[in-house]
Amino acid sequence: MDHFPGTWGRPRNDVYGAYDPSYLQSTGPKTHTTSPAVTGTSVIGVKFNGGVVLATDNLASYGSLARFTDTKRLRIFGNKAVVGFGGDVSDMQYIDRLLESIDIRENYSSHGNMLNAKNLHTYLAKVFYKRRSEFNPLWNHVLVAGFDGEGKPFLSSADLLGTTFSAPHLATGFGAHLAVPILRRLFPEEKPIEEISREEAVDALKQCLKVLFYRDARSLDKYSIAVITQEGIDLKEDEQLEGQSWAFAERIKGYGAQTV
Amino acid sequence: MTSLMDHQARETVGYSFSESTASGVKQHGFYPYTDNGGSTLGITGSDFAILAGDTRSTSGYNINSRMVPKVFKIGGDDETGEGANIILSVVGFAADGTALKERLDTVVKMYKYQHGKPMTVSACAQRLSTILYQKRFFPYYVHAILAGLDEEGKGALYSYDPVGSYEREQCRAAGAAASLIMPFLDNQVNFKNQYIPGSGEGHALAAKKAEPLPLETVKGLVRDAFTSSVERHIEVGDNLQMVIITKDGIQEVYHPLKKD
Amino acid sequence: MDKIVAQYSRPSYQNVYTEQDQQELTESLPPLSLKFALPPVANVSYSNTNKVIHGLEAGCHELGVSGQSSGGPRSPSSQLWRPELPAERPSAFLRAMTDDHSNPSCPIKLAHGTTTLAFRFQGGIIVCTDSRATAGNWIASQTVKKVIPVSRLSRGEDKPTSEPTPGLLGTMAGGAADCQYWLRYLSQQCTLHEIRHKRRITVAAASKILANLTYSYKGYGLSMGTMLAGVTPQEGPALYYIDSDGTRLPGNLFCVGSGQTFAYGVLDANYRYDLTEQEALALGRRAILAAMHRDAYSGGFINLYHVKEEGWVHHGFDDMNPIFWKTKLESGEFSNVTSEL
Repeated sequence: MDHFPGTWGRPRNDVYGAYDPSYLQSTGPKTHTTSPAVTGTSVIGVKFNGGVVLATDNLASYGSLARFTDTKRLRIFGNKAVVGFGGDVSDMQYIDRLLESIDIRENYSSHGNMLNAKNLHTYLAKVFYKRRSEFNPLWNHVLVAGFDGEGKPFLSSADLLGTTFSAPHLATGFGAHLAVPILRRLFPEEKPIEEISREEAVDALKQCLKVLFYRDARSLDKYSIAVITQEGIDLKEDEQLEGQSWAFAERIKGYGAQTV
Repeated sequence: MTSLMDHQARETVGYSFSESTASGVKQHGFYPYTDNGGSTLGITGSDFAILAGDTRSTSGYNINSRMVPKVFKIGGDDETGEGANIILSVVGFAADGTALKERLDTVVKMYKYQHGKPMTVSACAQRLSTILYQKRFFPYYVHAILAGLDEEGKGALYSYDPVGSYEREQCRAAGAAASLIMPFLDNQVNFKNQYIPGSGEGHALAAKKAEPLPLETVKGLVRDAFTSSVERHIEVGDNLQMVIITKDGIQEVYHPLKKD
Repeated sequence: MDKIVAQYSRPSYQNVYTEQDQQELTESLPPLSLKFALPPVANVSYSNTNKVIHGLEAGCHELGVSGQSSGGPRSPSSQLWRPELPAERPSAFLRAMTDDHSNPSCPIKLAHGTTTLAFRFQGGIIVCTDSRATAGNWIASQTVKKVIPVSRLSRGEDKPTSEPTPGLLGTMAGGAADCQYWLRYLSQQCTLHEIRHKRRITVAAASKILANLTYSYKGYGLSMGTMLAGVTPQEGPALYYIDSDGTRLPGNLFCVGSGQTFAYGVLDANYRYDLTEQEALALGRRAILAAMHRDAYSGGFINLYHVKEEGWVHHGFDDMNPIFWKTKLESGEFSNVTSEL
């Protein structure tokens, strides 16, 4: 018997085998082979008076290769909600098929209510949570935009673990680092969304996409943008970033302290 | 639960070919947990119980959202929480927390419909322990605190570890700043290491006896605990959510905390 | 066309929860089977096991024992006898997450209970524990009740009465949740035994229920070291030790937990079968005090019980600090500690 008190009551190596820390690794060779292959980068969204804007670029990367440059990562559900996808593209297409079949089923159903963006977000979060609980995740981080049951603008996030949260402006992936600070500066959280106009919101997202294109190496200057209002969805899928200025690039010399 | 989680029933896309290709290979090395930070705290008195939590949601050094409540009303109306007589706080992995809260909420509601009376706090406390233990081999990564009024109308507070060991206590802090708040509560609620002046010399000095505190004092302690944690813990901040349960019902209040 | 319409339109009753779904949602008893949510782990033996289970279900269909579709909810009888869990080493994942000894930075730190003792003497059985629960280096609680009444009649909290309460006592060491949950389960089994057989269960039988249970979970990472104490007409005072490896031992004297060695030291030096009741209580308290003093994972309050023929009596849940100083200053023990500043 092991007389060291600290080991008492703990799994013994001779009975249970050696401690296997591989479950704890979030990087390393094991994860690498199973991590997503073709991926999309950030999704950004912001609420304004009477609606929500959502934007993504049109790139699907294969590792560091800019593989597909016309991928539509904003998907319309029904006629009042849009889902923006970041992460694995094949999983995005699976979820898209899933949502399509739900939409068809709902349209055939007798009760006549349509799922709103809030319902859709709840559903997606549960699909993500279920799949992560099976250790077979859908490798995406999505933003859902539209309206809730009371007709108020709705914007919320769900990720591959099933984590959900909501805020007046949201961004996934690289956008969480680069776009959110811009949005927080333009629209401070104490400013009510009633004071934000549609034009301001759209311009802000374009500005964010531009900054992301400057600094996110997995991004593209072609983008999609969806404006969701009570009147309907205005989705533009083949937009080009305008007014780029690469003047700052001249000042960038290597990394950190390197100046030459 | 099976029907809610059933892969076949809910996720069928409606194709005629089988899905066997999707379910064959499982992700390995996928890490199913994350920590969304934040802290919660509960204190009871002779005729009330308070649960409080900050509303910040984090992932790593990013702030996901500044408004994600951690305290929930259990067994009441879905939207307003009306009719509830039990409150639950969860901190840790937010998706697990939501799943746990919804599970308990369903159980408490079904109990009410089947027995024609609301579930007592002590019964609910043991049920929550069982729910947590059901996932003993794939735990909910949460620290839960349950509160309400017991059969005598006294404040009741139960705290849990992730796999369901539980204990009734006067006060408990959980989450990121638990190690900052708990010693403060030991001293201010249970009067640990406080002695009655002049009651003796040296080791004969008599310890101050703990007794239930009035509501206003407790509210002050909760606010002090959180404003102090915000100063010293990066994952705590934004807003303080305080839910107070008395014989007159449940009152919910929010106070701003520092946003840095 | 009709086929497509039929595929997408469904009668509404299919969406309503069945009786069984409702029951599963509200099931308030602990399952009698290994029906726990397990992380699915991919490996070769997984699919093999799966086939075996499918084979069993096919058999059920033929016999008409339980009409069920594969993948649907299993019937209670197949739950009860579900042979094994589908994974090569299902505990490895759990261990990676929770074993704070092998990996101090593991994400989930479980509360661990620590020094407990029980011994038989001429006046019955003394049961004594500390009250500290630790999660890593963090003291999760100083007020854990590590003595758990295992009996239908005394499920509640400590009653203010000094009258003996009939029933068994269990102690907890190891994982706090494991002990609480399985002793609760044992309580239920003891109550059922009482109803079925119209007499109280023997300690031997109760301990065997628990030992069979822990043995069936061997390899899954349960962590418990528990003692069952009780006095029954069939056995007299009886004391058993059961742990998560499936060990079950009858005996006169046990100490369990990280502070066991310190408690054994005091107990072995002063133990006699013919101790008086007061001497026995004092010895139990003194042994736990020694363990609290020397073992960092033990501390808090001294929880003392005496089990006799009529039932168990609670002899206090007392802060160790004043007892320690009283012991030191009045009997001159613990001379390694100075009382001056």
